[in-house]
Amino acid sequence: MDAPTSVYKAYYGIRQKTDPAYKCVGCAMCNMVCPNDAITPICGDEADKLRYHIDRGGQPRRRGGRRNVAGGILDRLKFIRISMLTDPALDAGRHEFELRTLLGRVLPPEENLKFLRTNGWIPPVREIYPLIIGSMSFGALSPTMWEGLQMGVAYLNEELGMPVRVCTGEGGCPPRLLRSRFLKYVILQIASGYFGWDEIIHAIPEMKEDPCAIEIKYGQGAKPGDGGLLMWYKVNQLIAAIRGVPTGINLPSPPTHQTQYSIEESVAKMIQSMYMAWGFRVPVYPKISGTSTALAVLNNLTRNPYAAGLAIDGEDGGTGAAYNVSMNHMGHPIATNIRDSYLNLVALGMQNQVPLFAGGGVGKTGNLAANAAALIMLGASGVQIGKYIMQAAAGCLGSESDRCNICNIGLCPKGITSQDPRLYRRLDVEDVAQRVVDVFLSFDTELKKIVAPLGRSTSLPIGMSDALGIDDYDAAQRLQIKYVV
Amino acid sequence: MSDQDISSKTSSHVISGIFAGERVTTRILEEQIQDAVAQGYRTLQIEAYGQHGIGGRLWRAGNEKVHIQVVGQPGQRLGSMGFPNTSIEVLGPASDDVGWLNAGSEIVVHGHAGNGCANAMAQGKICISGNIGARGMTMTKHNPRFDPPELWVLGSAGDYFGEFMAGGIAVVCGYDAQNPDNVLGYRPFVGMVAGKVFFRGPHAGYSQSDAKLISMGDEDWNWLNENIRSFLNRIGRNELMETFSDRSQWQLIVARTPHEKISRPMRSMQSFDKQVWEQELGRGGLIGDLTDLDRSPIALITTGELRRFIPIWENRKYAAPCEATCPTGIPVQERWQLVREGRIDEAIDLALSYTPFPASICGYLCPNLCMQSCTRQSSAMAPVDVTQLGRASIDAKLPELPPEGDKKIAVIGGGPAGISVAWQLRLKGHQTIIYEMANNIGGKISRVIPASRLPQEVMTKELKRVKDVLPHVNLQQPLKREEVQQLREDFDFVVIAIGAQKPRTLPVPGNERAIAALDFLKQARANKAKAGKHVVIIGAGNVGCDAAAEAHRLGGKFITLLDVQEPASFGKEREAAEAVGAKFKWPVFTKEITSHSVKLADGQEIPADTVIISIGDVPDLDFLPETIAQENGFIKVDDRYQTNDPKVFAIGDVVRPGLLTDAIGSGRIVAQAIGEILEGNVPLPFKREMISRDRVTLEYFDPRVTEFANLDHCGSQCSSCGACRDCGICISVCPPQAISKTELEGSAYEYVVDESLCIGCGFCAAACPCGVWDLVENTPIG
Repeated sequence: MDAPTSVYKAYYGIRQKTDPAYKCVGCAMCNMVCPNDAITPICGDEADKLRYHIDRGGQPRRRGGRRNVAGGILDRLKFIRISMLTDPALDAGRHEFELRTLLGRVLPPEENLKFLRTNGWIPPVREIYPLIIGSMSFGALSPTMWEGLQMGVAYLNEELGMPVRVCTGEGGCPPRLLRSRFLKYVILQIASGYFGWDEIIHAIPEMKEDPCAIEIKYGQGAKPGDGGLLMWYKVNQLIAAIRGVPTGINLPSPPTHQTQYSIEESVAKMIQSMYMAWGFRVPVYPKISGTSTALAVLNNLTRNPYAAGLAIDGEDGGTGAAYNVSMNHMGHPIATNIRDSYLNLVALGMQNQVPLFAGGGVGKTGNLAANAAALIMLGASGVQIGKYIMQAAAGCLGSESDRCNICNIGLCPKGITSQDPRLYRRLDVEDVAQRVVDVFLSFDTELKKIVAPLGRSTSLPIGMSDALGIDDYDAAQRLQIKYVV
Repeated sequence: MSDQDISSKTSSHVISGIFAGERVTTRILEEQIQDAVAQGYRTLQIEAYGQHGIGGRLWRAGNEKVHIQVVGQPGQRLGSMGFPNTSIEVLGPASDDVGWLNAGSEIVVHGHAGNGCANAMAQGKICISGNIGARGMTMTKHNPRFDPPELWVLGSAGDYFGEFMAGGIAVVCGYDAQNPDNVLGYRPFVGMVAGKVFFRGPHAGYSQSDAKLISMGDEDWNWLNENIRSFLNRIGRNELMETFSDRSQWQLIVARTPHEKISRPMRSMQSFDKQVWEQELGRGGLIGDLTDLDRSPIALITTGELRRFIPIWENRKYAAPCEATCPTGIPVQERWQLVREGRIDEAIDLALSYTPFPASICGYLCPNLCMQSCTRQSSAMAPVDVTQLGRASIDAKLPELPPEGDKKIAVIGGGPAGISVAWQLRLKGHQTIIYEMANNIGGKISRVIPASRLPQEVMTKELKRVKDVLPHVNLQQPLKREEVQQLREDFDFVVIAIGAQKPRTLPVPGNERAIAALDFLKQARANKAKAGKHVVIIGAGNVGCDAAAEAHRLGGKFITLLDVQEPASFGKEREAAEAVGAKFKWPVFTKEITSHSVKLADGQEIPADTVIISIGDVPDLDFLPETIAQENGFIKVDDRYQTNDPKVFAIGDVVRPGLLTDAIGSGRIVAQAIGEILEGNVPLPFKREMISRDRVTLEYFDPRVTEFANLDHCGSQCSSCGACRDCGICISVCPPQAISKTELEGSAYEYVVDESLCIGCGFCAAACPCGVWDLVENTPIG
């Protein structure tokens, strides 16, 4: 008789997909549709091993979102200067505040009077709300999201008297908006791709209102030194019409403006051109990414009598699409950039003349008003938000622990960055607008809760750094604020 | 009780706020007043010089009334923390915070009062015979244990009147007001939560979110009318009674209750959208001019056109792997389907439409590529055993043959390829004549393959069937070049299927001592071959393995197979060789063949009585007309096995070495091509794409099944890749019950999706055992 034998065989009962292309992004739509609430994504406590395999085909990872690093210094800044009694007793909920800021070149009084006397040119200045919705293009955002933002801003202006402004981003502006009175709430952006600008130019003769301002984009905090790319599958008929391009083609914005060879030359040239378009009635300012060379740009602007301000976008800024490496490792923190710029203006005696606008991760952990107030006290005249408003107004799921972050592939599960009606119709324009209104109203109350104890109710505490403290000695030294423990 | 009553009880005790030309401090004056009350004085006159808090805290009098008359200038907080027993009368104006934290005293000021009048008052009554400053009646309370506090103002209130007012009644008469246009001051009633305010005269707005104007009811009016008389009496202005008796001049503001509070009167976003946004931009809002696409909100789970993915029922769109990988193209899964339907005879008979040798080849000789590719293998499950079906085909019944037409095709070579093409052409109704060199048809099947691999009766029976179908066979007809040329002229087409008969030889000394494997096998088959004790076979492929098995049968004891690389042999042939103890050596290179051994390049010497060379065969193409192109010793053909001469085809091993099933398959393809050409069509090889195995769901099958008892068992375990089993699982699993089955003509049916119900979840595609359902992206919108 034969000896007994064994046969070993493996049976694979589960078909597992290990391709990074199929990784769960944690969007939790499964959870939202499960009638029994039986499924939910939970992020493992281990480091994500997929990161070592996400470069299939030799393509480095690209994604949306922002720097995948939690926290930041803005949350650590405290407001330490508390007035025990003010007259009137400032109650953030009940008293009247005038929290406005200026966008535009503010002349020193003697010059202003001189020009007034001699019929000289006085730069246009806008009195606006200090929280600005930063540049996000029509195309990067879905039509419902973009319209929701615009509608919310119009509501804030017309129903509540809050002069909130929103920047278009590079991607043009719908013709109807250009020809409406709502244009005065809009900052038009021009960037290196110049998309949509011919449509804007054609609309100039028919404009009822001037736009609030023109922002010249030189850089973006999320991807400093890199350009943009709207993938062909997002360029449908609508996007194409607004941008003035054919459908179904890739739309790259170069990293820098062509035909311009230095930032000094470029700023001078661009500011002149953009002023001329609206007869020198519209303020024009550049936006740069946070950088150790920000002071060089700023100093140049101080010598340019047309420069209406400077916006700086720090390393924590968001984007719809960028290389992971750019997002995670490139860029400059906003706090020191703004502080250095402001102190530089102080040294020049021009701190009230060239307004600074700070952006990049404001409200990253949800503390929008605190972050904004901290930046204002460090020297910003106002702050720009982008990702925050997507999270707050449309339920964007993206997080700094790398949840979702698929804005770049047109499949945004919330419909914020998708051009597919089957996805973007998940967003209700009116709901987005209502949330924008909610956000600004509650921000307004919170900002008052911060500035009222400082004794401020009629002017923003720009550069009021004696109110700031931090429990980090080195950071306090660096920012020239108080070290408190 | 009136003022007169109090003053008539005791004589007035005068306390001066100045002593010896020096102002008495608040502390001393307070001491003097408290002492006087303690001593029993109940009517005091104070000559005030700005002292603080005069007239408050006189609890030492107990329930007895105390009346304080103030002359001169009282300081701030007159009557603060006043007790209910106290009444205070100021014969002139008063400073800030009159009646601060008043807990019950009555205060009359015969003049104006400063800021903060009645601030934080909880009980008592304050009457001002003039105007008051800012923040009057602020933070007042009403403790339910007591009557509500009252503030009466003859003139107007200053700014921020009634701020945080939490109870009490204020009356502003608006008489001789400081600002006749606005008797309530700037931003009154911010944060007001309780209480009521009667006023007479114009106002310039108040906090709508905290307070509201209501129409005055009779009860309120009666209260006002009654109490105003007492107020006028206190301040000595009874003559105004008539003026104040006009009800129509009075208005009443009350606090909103918590549930009435409105943070801000706000327009709804929907109203803004329709009445402001679209009004300015036009219908459709921001981009209404650019697109007609509906952008209204949709739910997360959608149906119809709004589904992101849609299921499609792709029955028989793709070939099952078994069918797709069978060179003969037999639709194996279809046969199992027939088995499942109880139509076993049809399943068996079906084979003859594809091959003349279903039993010999599928049942015995074929390595069964269909089973190797069976989807079940991808889950490490045993493939469905097609050999059972193959062996059963020995009894297959022929389809009815059509009458022979006038088209004639000559087939040169009566092996498997030649028989296949002739068989297929005959089934199509064409005449075929086979020219065979040997004395019998069947080629390798009948002459080379060891009898051990194929039972004689199976072969005989299948060859008999072939002969019945193909009567025109010319045996022992080796053709010459001119004869082939002539056939080309005489027939519509010529198909060359002569196989590869010429053994390759090994260029080493002593190669004449070796015998070619094909010759050895033919002789062995005819029982004419002999094998010594030591047998060396050079070339360890399947033919070498066949030779090894035969050598063992014919007396070989120590059999060694040599190869220059890892032997390519596999399957039954390899098993047969191993079963007889043959040893495989590789990589080795033969240097010489001697009379008793094979010498290798590395110096080894292997004893060898018989040496068989089995390194492949090539066709003998001496007969081939020179016009027919060759390639590496084989005839050159295209995808349809057509040579460069359109009338001449070539199939089987004469084209390239292959399996029997390759030869059969090439014959079928050529027959199809010829059929198409004869019908005037351009022959396009139609082959369905193979289904992707991961569409098939095998979870329904027991992975422990490794053997199949019978045909029915086989059929039950076939997943029917790409062809609907009609199991209805999709109907059962569909959450919204969107799938149904529709009967078509005859026995045909289809599964259809109701788009208005389907949510595109893909359960059907995931559950379908056959992979017929697929979930695809819906057509893009916009």
